Amino acid sequence: MRVDSPLKHAILIVASILALLPTAFMIATSLKSQDEYAVDKVGLPDVPVFENFRSVIFDSPFFAWMLNSAILVVGAVALSAVVSCLAAFAIARMEFKGRDALFSVSTALMAVPPVVMIVPLFVLYTQLSLISTYQGAIVIYAGLITPFSVYLLTTFFRTLPEELFEAARVDGAGDLRILWKIVLPLSLPALLTLVVVNALYVWNDLLIAIIFLQDDAKRTLMAGISVFQGRYNNQIPLTMAGMVIASAPMLILYILFQKYFIRGLMAGAVK
Amino acid sequence: MTTGRWNGTLSRRRFLQTAAAGTGGLALGGLMPSLAAQAADTTLEMWWWGEQELPGLQAFLDESVAAYKDATVNTMLQDTAVVISQFQTAAAAGKAPDIQYLWNGIYHMESVWLGYLRGLNGLVDAEVIKASNPTLLSQYGGDVYRVGWYPIPMLWYYNKELFDQAGLNADEPPKTWEAFLAACEALKSKGISPVGGGIQDGYWGEWYLGHALPQNLDSVGEALDLFIGERDFRDPKYYALWTKLEELKKAGFLNDDMSSLELYPGIDLIVAGKLAMGESVGTRLPADSKATDGQIGVMVMPVYGTGKLAGKPIMDTQGLGIAAGSKNPEAAAAFLEFLHSPERLQAFWEKTGWIPSNTNFDTSVVTDPAVKAMWEDWALSPNIPYVSNLTPGQFYEQAMVPAAQQVIEGQITGEEAGDLAARVVQEWRDFNPDLVDKYKSWAKDLA
Amino acid sequence: MNRSRFAPYLYVAPLVVLLAFVFGYPVVRNIEFSFKMVRGIDGPWIGLRNYELVLGQSLFWESVSHNLLLLLAIPVMVAVSLLISILLYERLRGWKAYRIILFIPYILAIPIIAVVMKRMFQFNGPVNEVLRWLSLDFMALDWIGSSDVALWTVMLLIIWRESALGIILFLARLLSLDESLIEAAKIDGANWWQRATRVLLPQMRGVIEFFVVVSVITMLSAVFAYVYMIGGGRGGPGTSTMVVELYIYNALIRSSLPGIAAAVSVMLLAVSALLIYPLFRVRSRDDGTGR
Repeated sequence: MRVDSPLKHAILIVASILALLPTAFMIATSLKSQDEYAVDKVGLPDVPVFENFRSVIFDSPFFAWMLNSAILVVGAVALSAVVSCLAAFAIARMEFKGRDALFSVSTALMAVPPVVMIVPLFVLYTQLSLISTYQGAIVIYAGLITPFSVYLLTTFFRTLPEELFEAARVDGAGDLRILWKIVLPLSLPALLTLVVVNALYVWNDLLIAIIFLQDDAKRTLMAGISVFQGRYNNQIPLTMAGMVIASAPMLILYILFQKYFIRGLMAGAVK
Repeated sequence: MTTGRWNGTLSRRRFLQTAAAGTGGLALGGLMPSLAAQAADTTLEMWWWGEQELPGLQAFLDESVAAYKDATVNTMLQDTAVVISQFQTAAAAGKAPDIQYLWNGIYHMESVWLGYLRGLNGLVDAEVIKASNPTLLSQYGGDVYRVGWYPIPMLWYYNKELFDQAGLNADEPPKTWEAFLAACEALKSKGISPVGGGIQDGYWGEWYLGHALPQNLDSVGEALDLFIGERDFRDPKYYALWTKLEELKKAGFLNDDMSSLELYPGIDLIVAGKLAMGESVGTRLPADSKATDGQIGVMVMPVYGTGKLAGKPIMDTQGLGIAAGSKNPEAAAAFLEFLHSPERLQAFWEKTGWIPSNTNFDTSVVTDPAVKAMWEDWALSPNIPYVSNLTPGQFYEQAMVPAAQQVIEGQITGEEAGDLAARVVQEWRDFNPDLVDKYKSWAKDLA
Repeated sequence: MNRSRFAPYLYVAPLVVLLAFVFGYPVVRNIEFSFKMVRGIDGPWIGLRNYELVLGQSLFWESVSHNLLLLLAIPVMVAVSLLISILLYERLRGWKAYRIILFIPYILAIPIIAVVMKRMFQFNGPVNEVLRWLSLDFMALDWIGSSDVALWTVMLLIIWRESALGIILFLARLLSLDESLIEAAKIDGANWWQRATRVLLPQMRGVIEFFVVVSVITMLSAVFAYVYMIGGGRGGPGTSTMVVELYIYNALIRSSLPGIAAAVSVMLLAVSALLIYPLFRVRSRDDGTGR
C-alpha cells in the first residue's frame, strides 16, 4: 500500500494548488503596480508595491462597508438567537397543541430560496420606508437564518437529560430560569456553531444586500465589492488589493478558530 | 443611460479627489445640523447619481448644499442598478424624494407616464430650463420634465499616433464606411488592432445602437416606431447596424478580447495605444487628452447609412427632475435654479473638470484644444439626441446588449440580431401593454 | 409542571411573528401579485396572463435550462469531494495542513472569488497566457466572453467552491466511522480501491445523499451571486448565464415588472417545495446513522 503514497500525495498536492491558486493570484497581483501587471500577469511581483493597499485602506470605503456588514451580522444573529432559543426551548421541552406542526413548517422553510421573498418584501418595505435601513435588513436576515437555528437548537435541546430539568424544578426554578441558567450554558458549543454559521451567511450575502440596502452609505461589503470591481475594472492590481482586504477578516478568523468554523460549516451545510 | 460606468482612467489625483470628496461629504454631513439651524425649515430630499461617471460631482454637490441657505438638502448617492427602480417604487408608495437625478429619455419618461414627475414649465425659471438644455427627449405633451445638469457628448475615439504609424491622416479620421474599412485594413496590416473596445458589461452595445441606428433614420420618432410596431427590426434598414458589426467581426477588425473586457478598460486600450478606434464619451476627453498629450482624436461614427440623421454628432444630457409628490416643489425648483447660477457653474467646472450643461457658461476656461474642438463640433453645432435612451428596459437587457454581444462573438449574423430584436420588441409589447400607448403619443411628440 | 397553558405560546410567539413576516406574508403576496399587472406597488387583476407571458418567453426557458445544466456539476463535485476526503481520511503525512488549505475555497465569499476568477480568466489574462505559453492555445478559450463557454466557467467556479463543502462533510462522516472495519479490510488484503468502494462508500450513503440534495437546491435557487458577479449583472455574455434567480431580480429591478417577478417566484417556490421532502428524508436518515 505504501506504493500508492506518492500518487496520493501528488493528488493532494495538485488539489491544494488548485485550491490556493486564486488566492495566490489575488495576493501576488495586489502587490504589483498597474504597469508591472500589464507586462507580467502571471509571475510574482519583482518588488512588492503597497500603494494599492494604501489606496484601498485610506481612499476606499472598504472599512465603512465592513462596518455595515458587521452591524447587520450582529443585529441579525442576535435577534435570531433570541427568537430561536425561546422557540426551540418550548418545542423541545414543552407540550402544546401545534408544536409538531410548527416545527415541521419552520424546518421546511430551510429549503425556501430567499430570492422568492424579495418581490413582496421590496414593495412592502418601500411602503413602510424601510428600504436602506439597518432594521429592515436585519429583520429579513434574521428571518432567513432562524429556521435553521430553531432546527439545530431543538435537536440539541432534545438531547438534554430530563433529570436536569426535574432537579431544577424541584428547586422551584421556573422555565425562563432553567433556560437561562442551565440550558444555555450547556448549549454553548451548539450556540457557537450557530453563531459562526449564521454570521457567515449574513456576512457573505449579496442578494438581500443589493436590493434592500440601496443607499450608498449603508452598503455592505459584498455589495461594495460588486461596485468596487466595476468602478476599477481597469485597475486589476487595485481590485485585487481590495479583494485581499475584503477576504482578510474571514481568513484570519478561519485560521484562528478553525475548529468552530469547520464544525459550524458541517452543521450548517444547508446554508 | 449613456455611460452607466465609472470613469476608468482614474488617475491618482482623481482617486484622491474623489475620496477626499467622499470624506469631505461625510464631514459636511456632520456639519449639517448646525447649518440647518440657519437655513429655513424646508428640507429637501435629493437622490442622485453621477459620481460614478464624473468624479468630483459629489464634491460639487456637497459644496452647493452647504452654500444653499434657503433649504436643507439631504442628498443620497444611488447605486447604478437601482437609480430608476428605487425612485419609481418610492414614488408609487408616495415616498419619492423631492429632487431626482434622471437619465434621459425612457429612463424618466416612464416615470412621467406613471405620474411620478412634475412638469417644470411654470415651476422652474424658463430661462434656466432653456439654458440647461434638457434635450428633446425630456419633453412630452407640451411640458418638459428635467433641468439639464451636465452634457454627455457621445463620440468615437481614435488614437492619432496609431494612425500615424499606419500611414493614415491623423487630422482627417474616416467619414464614410468605405474609408473606415480601408483604415482598418491599413491598421491591421501594421499589426495594430483597428477597432473595438469591451462589451463584457454590455454598455458598449447600448452605445453602439445609439451611434449606428440613427444612420438609417430620418427622425428620432422613427426609432420609437420600431417599438410601437410601425417599423420592424427585421427590415434590413434597421438591422443594418448589426450587419455592419458582423462585417467588422468577419474581417477580423475587432480586438480579440472584446467579449471578456469591460467598457472602460476597453476605452483604456485606445488611450494606451493598443487599439486604434472605438466608442467613448466626451466626459473622458479632458483626462485622456492630457494623459496622452493630445494624441486622442474624436470623430463621429463613420457613415454607412442614408438617413437624415446619419453622420451627425450626438449629444445627451443628464438631468434633474422634481417628483410629482414633492411637498415643496417651489423650494426644489429654487435649488435647481441655484445649481445653475453663474457661481455654481464655475464651481462645477472647478470640481469636476467638466463643462456644466448651461449655454451661459463661458467655455473660454477650457484650455485643452482637443476638448475645445470637441465642444464646438458636438455641443455648439447641429446635433442629434442619443436614441438608445428611447429603448425600454426590457429591450435593453434582452435585445440591445445581447444582440451586440453575440454578433461580436460571431454567434449570430446581423439578420439574426434583427430577428432577436423584433422578437423582444413583441415580448415587450405583450408584457407592457400600458406603455405601448404612451410610446405612441411620445412618437408623435418626437416626429 | 405548573406552567400556565399559554406559556409555551409566548415562547414561540416571536418565532411565529418573524416567520409570518419574512415567509408567510411574501408567499401570499407573491401569489396575489402574480395575478396582477403590478406597476410600483399594485395594479389591476389580469388572471393568468403573467404566467402565460413568462411560460411563452424563450428567455425564461433558457434560464431554466441553465439551472438544469448546472446540475451536471453535482456528479463532478461528489466525485472530487469523495476522492479528496478519502485520501485525507488516510491521514497521510501532513494531512492536517492539506485539510486547512482545501477548505479555503469555501471560506472565501462568492463575490470575492468571482471577481478574482473573472480577472484570471479574461481572454488575455493570466490563465490563457499560461496556456498559450505551454502551446496549449486551443485551450485558451474565451472563458468569460463566449456564450458557449461562460456557463461552463460559472460551473467550474461552483465546482471549485462547493467541492470544498463536500470535502468538509464527507471527511466529518469518515472521521466518525468505526476504524475496525477498515482495519479488517486491510488485514483481508483489500487494496485501496476495494476498501474505498466496499467499506467506506456504503457507510457514507447518507451524507452523500444529503450533499446531493443540498447541491440540487443550490443549483436551482442559490447561484445568484456567482452569476451576478461573473455575468456582468445581466446574465451575459448574451443571455448565456441567465438563471431563474437573476430573471426574477431583473424583472423586479430592471424591467419594473413585479407581477412577472412574482409569477416566476411562485413557480420557483413550488419547485423548491418539491425538494423539501427529499431534504427531510436524507437529513433525518443521516442523523440516524450518527453524524
